[in-house]
Amino acid sequence: MISKTLSSWYSGSNKLERLWLLAKIEFKLRYYENKLGLFWALLKPILDICIYYVVFNIIMQQGIPAFASYLFIGLILFNFFIESTSGTIAILNAKKYLYEYSNMNKLEIYISTLMSNVIGFTFNFIMFMVFYNFLEPQSIGLSIQNFWIVPIFANLFIMALGVSLILSNIYIIAKDITQIWQVFSTVLMFISPLFYKLSSFKAALPSFDYANPLAGIIINARRVMMQGLQPDYELMIFDYGYAFLFLFVGLILLNKLGSKAAEKL
Amino acid sequence: MENTIVKNGIAIKARNISKTFQISEDSHNTVKHRLFNLFNPPRTKYVPALKNLSMEIMQGECIGLLGRNGCGKSTLVKLLAGVYPSDTGYVNIQGSTMLMNLGVGMSHELTARENVYVSGSVLGLKIKEIDAIFDEIISFAELEGFVDTKIKFFSSGMVARLGFSIAVKAGADIMFLDEIFAVGDAKFQEKAIKVFESSWIQGKTVVLVSHSMEVIRKYCNRAAFMRKGELVYFGDTEQAIDLYMKDNE
Repeated sequence: MISKTLSSWYSGSNKLERLWLLAKIEFKLRYYENKLGLFWALLKPILDICIYYVVFNIIMQQGIPAFASYLFIGLILFNFFIESTSGTIAILNAKKYLYEYSNMNKLEIYISTLMSNVIGFTFNFIMFMVFYNFLEPQSIGLSIQNFWIVPIFANLFIMALGVSLILSNIYIIAKDITQIWQVFSTVLMFISPLFYKLSSFKAALPSFDYANPLAGIIINARRVMMQGLQPDYELMIFDYGYAFLFLFVGLILLNKLGSKAAEKL
Repeated sequence: MENTIVKNGIAIKARNISKTFQISEDSHNTVKHRLFNLFNPPRTKYVPALKNLSMEIMQGECIGLLGRNGCGKSTLVKLLAGVYPSDTGYVNIQGSTMLMNLGVGMSHELTARENVYVSGSVLGLKIKEIDAIFDEIISFAELEGFVDTKIKFFSSGMVARLGFSIAVKAGADIMFLDEIFAVGDAKFQEKAIKVFESSWIQGKTVVLVSHSMEVIRKYCNRAAFMRKGELVYFGDTEQAIDLYMKDNE
């Protein structure tokens, strides 16, 4: 059933073009409609970092080296996940026009929306690179290990896609998954090692780096981008396991519930 | 399985499909509501819209669909187009489908240009192919001055014309036309019918839903007559029209 979904999606020639077209339009809709436009996408992580910097470094004095960069890389990854999940809960409702009048594969709607989030993430990532390499006084500079960010981000993408599929298909039968997910994302934010020193996070919440699928991704991203280390492979395998599990469940739900979206929503 | 279908030239094969709509009178569509009513399920009405129906449509055929209001024509069209899943049996669709009724798949948040590209792409065209027919679509829809205007600012006639234009110029492999000859003013209708007659219908698989016998008689080589969710007759157009007329008496 799942292989059928994937193969029916992959066959055909204009799929990639279509995904890119939908992603670009989605991106434009999100940022170009507002007065601040793309500027806001760049400004938001900086404002977030300022707030958390003041709270966790100046007030609470955690003494984490290169704390602004530490926050920066963690927040842009976390924000990508939240935008790709909270932002897509009602996707089957918002994009009904795409599948209500044709037999278009719904999976494409998800992938294109996530691709538009990747465009936003890329801008933020470039900002991080500039900040870390030119402005951060405690930077260790570029390293060959930086390339590991690609599989780490791919892991996050698959996980976000899976969770997005799960949430948006549950939305078809229970609309208030939106509110529940809001609370859950707040919890997720505070049980992820975003603002805390890794050692105190591990001490306070033992094995949460494994239990929380986002924690490993953030920890590994910092290792490869800021510490010149290889990723923690065990964590990485664990997180890929989570990602594929979510994707698997998401695809089952898309087949079971998503096929009824046109009549239920 | 697929190869034999392509060889035989079957565009759509439906076997024993049926559809029952569940309509809950007291909708428990929130988690809270569901939790508080775990042992008190909502009263559900079952409306059988289609009953155990089988049909085959060959490639390049124009099929007419006849029946009184509420007989299941639109439901059947949605099942055959792959928009609704069927409760039983299966539907095999060879190619892309497009369903046209009062609206076609367009977003009101997008401009006419973006809608043309999105719809064209969903129908299976490449960007270059859409580039090539873009001007034709806009001029056929008589929307030259509004290419970069969001269609939420369009009148309903303008939206319908754009949809019709996209369908005419881009078209899917299998088109489902649900009362589309009511689009636009008299002048546009005349133009649309002309295009429809001249070339467009040739080589395309079309399922036409209409209450106009004239339209059905003119374009369809076979027709189906439906009553209360059942396929009563599928074959000769004249015979189907006769049955429909008798049903209306």
